[in-house]
Amino acid sequence: MNTELILQHGLTLDEYEVINNYMQRELTMEELGIFSAMWNEHCCYKTSKKWLKKLPTSNDIVIQGPGENAGIIDIQDDDAIAFKIESHNHPSYIEPFNGSATGVGGILRDIFTMGARPIATLNSIRFGDLSNFKTKYLVNGVVKGIGHYGNCIGIPNIGGECEFDHSYDYNNLVNAMAIGHVKKDSIFYSEPKTIGGLIVYIGSKTGKDGIHGASMASDVFSEDDEDSKRPSVQVGDPFMEKLLMEGCLELMDAKLIESMQDMGAAGITSSSVEMASKGNLGVEINLDRIPLREPLTPYEILLSESQERMLAVILEENNEKVKNILKKWEIDYEVIGVVTDTKKVIFKSQDKIVVDLPVDIIVDSAPEYDRPFNLPLKHKVQKYDFNQLNIETCLNNLLTNINYSHKAWVYDQYDSTVMGDTIFEPGSSSGIVKVHKTNKAIGATTDCNPLYIRINPEQGMAHTVVESYRNLVSSNIKPMAITNNLNFASPLDQNIMGELVLSIHGLKETAKYFDTPIVSGNVSLYNQTNDEPIKPTPVIGCVGFNENYRSVIPTHFQNDGDQIFMIGKPLDLAESPYFLQDQLGLSNINEFNDLAKCDFALEKKHQDFLFQMFEKNMIKSCNDISRGGPIHSLITMMTSKLGFHIQHSDELSLFSEYLAGYIMIIDQNNSESIVKEAQAECIDLMHLGSVKTDTIEINEFQPKFNIVYEVYKNNFSDKIKNYHDN
Amino acid sequence: MSLSSAVITFPGSNCDRDAQTYLEALTGQDTHKVWHKDVSLPKVDLLIIPGGFSFGDYLRSGAMASKSPIINDVLKHADRGGYIIGICNGFQILTEIGLLDGALNRNINLKFLAKNCFIKKNHDNHFNKKILPDHCLSIPVAHNEGSYYNSEEGLKSLEDNQQISFLYCDEKGNTTDQSNLNGSLNHIAGITNKKKNVLGLMPHPERAFQDFHTSQDGQLILESLLG
Repeated sequence: MNTELILQHGLTLDEYEVINNYMQRELTMEELGIFSAMWNEHCCYKTSKKWLKKLPTSNDIVIQGPGENAGIIDIQDDDAIAFKIESHNHPSYIEPFNGSATGVGGILRDIFTMGARPIATLNSIRFGDLSNFKTKYLVNGVVKGIGHYGNCIGIPNIGGECEFDHSYDYNNLVNAMAIGHVKKDSIFYSEPKTIGGLIVYIGSKTGKDGIHGASMASDVFSEDDEDSKRPSVQVGDPFMEKLLMEGCLELMDAKLIESMQDMGAAGITSSSVEMASKGNLGVEINLDRIPLREPLTPYEILLSESQERMLAVILEENNEKVKNILKKWEIDYEVIGVVTDTKKVIFKSQDKIVVDLPVDIIVDSAPEYDRPFNLPLKHKVQKYDFNQLNIETCLNNLLTNINYSHKAWVYDQYDSTVMGDTIFEPGSSSGIVKVHKTNKAIGATTDCNPLYIRINPEQGMAHTVVESYRNLVSSNIKPMAITNNLNFASPLDQNIMGELVLSIHGLKETAKYFDTPIVSGNVSLYNQTNDEPIKPTPVIGCVGFNENYRSVIPTHFQNDGDQIFMIGKPLDLAESPYFLQDQLGLSNINEFNDLAKCDFALEKKHQDFLFQMFEKNMIKSCNDISRGGPIHSLITMMTSKLGFHIQHSDELSLFSEYLAGYIMIIDQNNSESIVKEAQAECIDLMHLGSVKTDTIEINEFQPKFNIVYEVYKNNFSDKIKNYHDN
Repeated sequence: MSLSSAVITFPGSNCDRDAQTYLEALTGQDTHKVWHKDVSLPKVDLLIIPGGFSFGDYLRSGAMASKSPIINDVLKHADRGGYIIGICNGFQILTEIGLLDGALNRNINLKFLAKNCFIKKNHDNHFNKKILPDHCLSIPVAHNEGSYYNSEEGLKSLEDNQQISFLYCDEKGNTTDQSNLNGSLNHIAGITNKKKNVLGLMPHPERAFQDFHTSQDGQLILESLLG
C-alpha cells in the first residue's frame, strides 16, 4: 500500500508495519479506513492510556467505571446516576453552531445508551481573548448550538463555566457533560451475549457528514485548514435525537434490547468493533442494509459520523415488537447483521466481503505509547510590587474582566428548568436537580484552572479538583465521583506530555485522598494551531449527592443583617496566580512563582465542619472562594437588593485565592454559636461583616451598590455585543 | 371541584411529563396521557397541550402538530366548552389550529430566552380568577418564538372581548420595554379565546409550583380552575 495513503489516514509507518505483519496481506481501502478510525488518539487513547490506568476508578458506590459509554454510581435504594463529559473542540472551532450542538447530542446518547434518562447537562467552554477577531463569532455560535440542541431535546442545563484566554485564540474548547438517572436493575451495556443475535441499526439515515471526524480530532490544525475541514463536521438534529431517546428508552423499558452502543466518533466502525470486543465475539454486517441519505460507498458508510444513530443487539423473537415501537416514534430501523462467534469484524457489500479483520488486531494490538516527557522547570522565586494596587483598583480590574462577570448572557440561552426538577439553575455554586419522584438531590459542577496547571501541573490539578468539591460542598452536596476531560496541546511536545502526565498524577492523588473515583472521561489532544498550544485544560466534572433535597444550601444572600463569616487560608499574593495575572497583568509563565501546595487535610477539615453546620441549620447560604478571592465570592452572592459591608485588615488578600476557602452567611442569632462551634473544632473562623441592603462597603471604600451590581451583571453581554459592532 | 385532565404528547413535546406532574399534584387525580395519533380524547374537564418542540419546530413552530389526528377532537373539546391550556409550544399550536388569535414570532433579540419572568393578570377569566390584580407572578419562560403578534384589528378585538389574560411586567407590576422580554405586542404573555375556555400562554406554570421551585405562583392558574 502506498505510503502517502497510509499517512493520509493518520497512521504512522510503524503502526502500519504492525498491521501488515499481523495480516500478511494487503489491506482493502475499507480496512485501512477502519484502522485510521480506530487507532487515532480520539478512539484508542494511545498516548494517555498508560497514565489513565493509574487513576482510581472504583469504590463501594461505583457500578460502572471507565470503559462503557458512561460511568455509573449508586445513589442508594434502587437509584443510580450515569454521567460523562466529552469534548467537541475541533468541530466547534471549524463550525461553532453544529460542532457544539452535536457535542451535546453525542454526550446525551452516551447516557441514554445505558438505559439512563438524561436529567441534566453542563458545559465547560473556553474561548480566545476578546480582542481576537473570531472570538465573538465563536461564542455566539457555540452558545447557540449548545442551546439549540439541549433546549429542543428538553434536558435542563444546570451549570458549567466559560473562560476567555489568549491560549484558546485558535483552539476553543467545548466540553459537554450529561447526567442521567437509571434504576440499578435496568442498566444496559454494550456487550452482546447471544450468538445469532440480530444487529439492528436505529435512528437517522447515514450521510457523508463527519467522515474522518475522529481522526480530525486527533490532528494539529494549521490556519488554512478551517475551510477544508468543515465537511468533517457533523450536523445535528435534536428532534431526531429526542425521538431516538424516547424510542430507545421505551425499548429498554420493555426489555427488548440485549445490548446497545451509540454510533459516535468513527460511526458504525467503532460501535460494531466495540460490541464485538466487549462480548469477545464477532459481528457480520451487510452494509447494503444501512439506511442511507444519499448514495455512499462502503468506505464512506464505515467512516460516516452522521448523528443520532444507535446500534443494538436484539433477539430474533423480539424483532416485531422492536419494529413496532420504533415505528410509533417514526425512527428508521433495519436489521443489518448478526452476532457471530468468529471474533472477526466482517462487513459485506454487494455480496463481496470488504472488511475481514480479527477483533484483536483492531482492539488489542492498538498502539499504546510511552511518550517521552519533560518535568517542568523549577520556578525562580520572584518578588512583585503591589504598591499601585488598592481596593478600588482591584475591584475595578475584577468588574471589567469578562472572566469574572455574571454569565447570564450564556445561560439565559439554555433552558435550565425543563423537566421541572431543577433546584439550582446556573449561577449558583453548583447546579442541582431533584431525582424525579424521590427526595434525592444531585449536584454537579465543572472546573478547571488552566493557569495553575501550566505553572504546576500536579498541584494545579489538585487545586482544580478540590475547587470542584468546594463548589458542591457549599451547596451541602457531598462530592461522590468524577468525570474528566483532558484537553491538551500536542503530546509530541515533551513539555506538553509532561503536563499531561503530571496532571493525571495530581488527579490520581486527590481523587484517592477524597475517595471520589474517576468513572468516565475523555481525552482531547493536539489542541494547538501551528505552534500555539492551549494551556493545559483537564476539566473536572464532579457529581455529588444529598439524600434530602430540602437541605441543599443556596449561594445568594438571604436577609439584611445576616452575618458574613469566612474560613480558609489566603495564598500569599506572590503565590496567587490569578491575582498576579488579573491584577498585576502577568502573562509570561516564567514570571510566576511556583504554586502553593494544595492542603488536603485542611480541605477535608473544612468540608466536615460545613457538613456539621449544615446539619445543625446554622448556615443560611454559602459560597466557595476561588479566582477573585473573597470579594468575588461576595459579589456573586449579591441579589438586586442585598450587598455587603465588610472589614479586613489585609485588604489585598480579599482578592487573592484561598486554600479551603468558604464564605458562610449566618443568622445574627447564630453568630455566637458558630464561633463556639468553630473553636471546638479548631477552625479559624473570621467574621467579615454583614449583609446590607443596597450597600457595598469594604473597609472605608464605598462604591455605589447599583453601579457595581449593574457592571457585574452586564459586563459580559456589553463586551460580547460591543466588541466588533462598529 | 374535582378536575379530570389529559396531556397530549406530540413527537418532540418535552414538557408533557412536567404538565402531568403539575396536574396530578394539584388535582389529586391521575392524568390521561394522549398520543398525537389518537383520534379521540378521553372525557376530561381540562386538556393541556404541553411545551417542547413538536416535530422539531420544522416548517414553523406548531405548524406540523396542527395536522395531527388528535386535533379534530381537540377542536370538538373546545367547542363543547372544555378547558384547554396551551403552554409555550402548546400556545403556538393553539394559534396554528385557530383556537387562539395571532401568532408567536421570534423573540425580539433573536435568541432563545430562558429565565424567570413576571406576569400579571389583565382581563378576568376562569384561569386567573384566584389571582389578585396587583399580584405579579414569577414564572419561568423558555422559548425562541414567544413574541406575540396580531394585527391592529386583532389586538382591538382581543381588548374589546376581554381576551388578554396575562401581561409581562416587572416585579412591581410595571409594563415596560425591559419587562416585555420577548417584544410581544401590548406586552401580551397569554390570551384566551372569545369563550374564555381556551388559554394560551408562553410562561411555564408547571415549572413553578413545587417547594423547591424558584416560585410557586404557577399553582394559582390551576387553582383558579379548581374553584
